[in-house]
Amino acid sequence: MTVIARRLAGHLARGIAMVLVVATISFFIIRNIPGDPIAARYQKLVEQGMSPEAAERATAVMYGFLPSGTLWEQYVDYMGGLFRFDLGVSVTNPGTPVTTVLGEAAKWTVLPVLTGTLLSFLLGVTMGVYAAIKRSGVLGDLLAISGSLLHGVPQYVLALLMGAIFTTLIPVLPPGGTADILFEPGFNAGYIGSLIEHATLPVVTYALAGYGGWILAMKSSVVTVLGDDFILAAELRGMKRSIIFRYIMRNAILPLFTILAISLGLLFGGAIFIEKIFNYPGLGFLLIESVTNRDYALMGGAFLIITVAIVVANILADLFYTVIDPRVRSGAEAAA
Amino acid sequence: MSSAILETGGTTAAMRRDFWRGVWRVMRRKPSRLAGAVILLGFAFMGVFGPMFHPEPLPRDPDEIYAPMSAEHWFGTDGQGRDVLAQVVTGSRYVLLSALVTAVITVVLGTAIGLFSGFKRGRWDTVLMRLTDMKLTIPGLPLLLVLSTVWSFGSAVEMGLVLGLLGWGTVARAVRAQTLSLRERGFIEAVRGLGLPTTHIVGRELLPSMAPYIAMSMLITVTGAVYAQVGLFFLGVLPYEADNWGVMLNLSVFGGGALTTTAALPYMLAPLLAILLLTLGIVLVVDAMDEIFNPRLREE
Repeated sequence: MTVIARRLAGHLARGIAMVLVVATISFFIIRNIPGDPIAARYQKLVEQGMSPEAAERATAVMYGFLPSGTLWEQYVDYMGGLFRFDLGVSVTNPGTPVTTVLGEAAKWTVLPVLTGTLLSFLLGVTMGVYAAIKRSGVLGDLLAISGSLLHGVPQYVLALLMGAIFTTLIPVLPPGGTADILFEPGFNAGYIGSLIEHATLPVVTYALAGYGGWILAMKSSVVTVLGDDFILAAELRGMKRSIIFRYIMRNAILPLFTILAISLGLLFGGAIFIEKIFNYPGLGFLLIESVTNRDYALMGGAFLIITVAIVVANILADLFYTVIDPRVRSGAEAAA
Repeated sequence: MSSAILETGGTTAAMRRDFWRGVWRVMRRKPSRLAGAVILLGFAFMGVFGPMFHPEPLPRDPDEIYAPMSAEHWFGTDGQGRDVLAQVVTGSRYVLLSALVTAVITVVLGTAIGLFSGFKRGRWDTVLMRLTDMKLTIPGLPLLLVLSTVWSFGSAVEMGLVLGLLGWGTVARAVRAQTLSLRERGFIEAVRGLGLPTTHIVGRELLPSMAPYIAMSMLITVTGAVYAQVGLFFLGVLPYEADNWGVMLNLSVFGGGALTTTAALPYMLAPLLAILLLTLGIVLVVDAMDEIFNPRLREE
């Protein structure tokens, strides 16, 4: 147990360092905004008759950023704000704290990303086993080629092609948004149906984008396991095929769980294209909107939360692997 | 003395001839690989000479806005009545130039850092690899988006520079791993025993052994760079460049409504097809290179 605790501590330290680096990048970017809107805002408030102190406080609330002072003072103030979960106020949504806006958007990212990823994981892993077992046949070749193709193509190409097929050529699905405005948001059949209808394209695109990677990873993992002696031994003992199949699955799928956890973290950042194309108001959409509208407080917050997702996913992946694979656990304990 | 030099010269020439014969054999066995090489040459030709065949700026035709596909306009026209195919051709120069800059910077930086880290080991190695890990964890696309607010890296060279400086992590990791394993091999030990300087060991022994891998990762970097820069322009966070694949995608989807009406669809599909074709060419060539340089894959 102490081994796991020590690993966790190391991961946490590295994760916090990561978050600090990203926050520092955001800080310097906000400080170097062309045209300096923060100072401009401060000047304007002073000209409107506010006392310099009141104007400074108002600006600081607005941007989560001190308009004057030395570099160090500004930095300490900015970082202090982060530790109080105070990321400033969004300019495009007047009066709403950035944390509230982020929370609202996270809702629209987490569920579709999770559904899409799990869907592609299940599908890719199953197909990967077939691709490995039938690797010398036509079916295996086809599966492997489909995997390489989908894995190699960037997400926006997939999303645009899906959109072109299902909203332009055969308009069966809505081109964007989260639900029809006709329906009252709430727990009623019409609204939920509309939600599902609107989520279909983003979810299916996430699934397609992930599928290729899973099928390739599972195929190579199964091929490795197939060469192991215990599979040969099981076959020689005349075990049922279904039992041997279970042996293969349980051993081959282990390394994939780690990739699953990491990819869940990455998808928070990778969802930018899909959310922008299908006009889906998640975190990626928020980031791109805040960049276009030059809403710096919101931009810094979105960048930070995407990084935190990746850091957390990395830690979870490592811990999960330690718990799930007895070989890693006992190996670590033996080494300690 | 002089005859010995002549003799070694003769064998290297023979080896070179054998190499090209091997390349030809690999290409001929799977014609798809030849197709890959042809596609890449075609793109290179398009990037270098393509823009010369079209006037700058492209002619506008107010009577032919979002014209459908026809013999005159293979992929129709855009919202200003300009020929779409001509835009793909003139835009290819930007795409290929910036991808080339990215690939060169990525590979040079990645190889240098990986070699140094793996060869020196010790404290420098730890520091550099921590840095690489950190770089690999920071989400790349969000970082590019955030960066675009303070620096509009729109020109081809700037774009290549930014993507290259952000992208060397993977190559550095792989080169370091290979250096670590190669430096323990017998032939390196023999060279060290002969008392040859480090520059010789690195330049004449280590680098040539890794050259195939480096060449392949350079081609793979090109695809990544094309995706990234087209994506950035598509998202519309950079100032518009005239005739750019990403800008075409942006205007067709968010301006022409290609995801709701069919009128702007060819305008959107043309750059997508160009990207897919370029990817296909690179994948096929990498596959061929893999077989040329990897003796285990070679089927005699």
